[in-house]
Amino acid sequence: MLVVRRHHLLVRWSHWLNVPILLGLILSGISIYWASPIYQHKPDPITGNFDVAADIGIWICAHVPGLRHYSSPPDWIYNHMSLGPGMLAAALRLHWLYAYGFMLNGAVYVAGLIAGGGWRGLLPRRTDLHDALRMFGYYIGFPLAKPARRQWPHPISNTKYNALQRAAYVTIPIAGFLSVTTGWAIHKPMQFHSLASIFGGFDATRVWHFWLMWVFLLFVVPHVILVFADGWDTLRGMITGWSTKVMRPKVTA
Amino acid sequence: MGTKNRGFFGERPLPTSEVDSQLVHRRSRRDLLLFGAGTMAALAGARSLLPHALRTALRIDDEVAESLYSPRRMVATYTKSQITQLKNNYNGTTPDPSYIPGWHVTLDGLAAGVSVALDIRNLMTRFSIHEQITRLVCVEGWSAVAWWAGLRFDDLLRAYPPMSQAKWVRVESSVNLDASGNPDPYYVSIDLAAASHPQTLLATHLNGRPLAVEHGAPLRLLAPVKLGLKNVKAVTGLTYVTQEPADYWAERGYSHYDGI
Repeated sequence: MLVVRRHHLLVRWSHWLNVPILLGLILSGISIYWASPIYQHKPDPITGNFDVAADIGIWICAHVPGLRHYSSPPDWIYNHMSLGPGMLAAALRLHWLYAYGFMLNGAVYVAGLIAGGGWRGLLPRRTDLHDALRMFGYYIGFPLAKPARRQWPHPISNTKYNALQRAAYVTIPIAGFLSVTTGWAIHKPMQFHSLASIFGGFDATRVWHFWLMWVFLLFVVPHVILVFADGWDTLRGMITGWSTKVMRPKVTA
Repeated sequence: MGTKNRGFFGERPLPTSEVDSQLVHRRSRRDLLLFGAGTMAALAGARSLLPHALRTALRIDDEVAESLYSPRRMVATYTKSQITQLKNNYNGTTPDPSYIPGWHVTLDGLAAGVSVALDIRNLMTRFSIHEQITRLVCVEGWSAVAWWAGLRFDDLLRAYPPMSQAKWVRVESSVNLDASGNPDPYYVSIDLAAASHPQTLLATHLNGRPLAVEHGAPLRLLAPVKLGLKNVKAVTGLTYVTQEPADYWAERGYSHYDGI
């Protein structure tokens, strides 16, 4: 049986460690966000609420059946997507623990990319824009073509990743690097104030840090869906390191 | 394998090998079992190791804060047009201003061995007043740029030197109240290195006016290299000590040094 080595051991380990680390960072991060929400409005004259995340909680409790009698609608988001409101001290401690873990893990990942040569597969190509549009068309058309039992061939690609995957997989290390940089800038805003000024100052850096979380979340959803859609070989590859999907050079008759 | 030159950045073909399919299945099963066992072990270990890991991370982070600190590195200063609103962030009830006329600050742990009480007139006439527009950063994440004036803590340290072994100062406000208005003395630990930073003030004025009661009249600590929670309002006592003194918020789960 012909097998192909796809992922270095260190890449695989750090890949899976990112799951609990990012989960911990996001859950504790939302609790930190609660203490001083970035997105605020003038206090509501009746409820006194000023936090957009609390508004969303109130809306959810008002519109989702079964949540009508939720005890504290403004806290719904925080109770379900963080450690809860009023948990700043615990959240900060967890966030730092996970942040140090994230930095170490990121270093391991980069070491794995270098040791296995995988970094080359992530670099953008001149043909990427064209290929990405082709892949995009494939993904859009797939759910329509499949039920109609129409032929819908996957665009041919002779590289480890297609252009869309490359764009996604190179975005994540960059987002990780920016998360760490903005994190330090808001964690030590006096010693690193020049770092914060690159991102537009202390308050703007907090906004950057918040939106970088969304980069990870927006990546994870299609990432997980597509890995499962692609099949067992792809998922197994990230555990065992090898794949049985071997690209053979095309032989023209 | 292609022989064409791919350059340093060119993607290499993935290494393939011919492996017995029995072996592939065995290895595959082994790796998956290891992966599952590793996940379970990590989950089980996390529960028991988490408290220790949290303490260690907090300690490391405090040490990082200390090693980043330099008495020569100044915090950013701003112009008057960049001044923002500074809210009254008294944790409990704002004290009644009746304490202000009789206010004085008591210095203890001095090299001279006696305690010294200074009133605000004394402090403002004997020490030169410095101005700065700096950012005060709250642990909660908000911050405010404010125009402060006051004496340098370092000047007070020179005028009334602490005992030679002292490494810390306990900064206390006895007028602090809790949310229901009962006395709730507020105390923080400040390392003398941070206290002697040129931008660490014992502030008497905010935005050109004497401090109002909600901002800690008549004298508050302004240490921009520390989080806002270390910037004690209405300071009534400064005690120089050799060991790290108790800290109101460290006792409530926050970090110890809060160097930013």
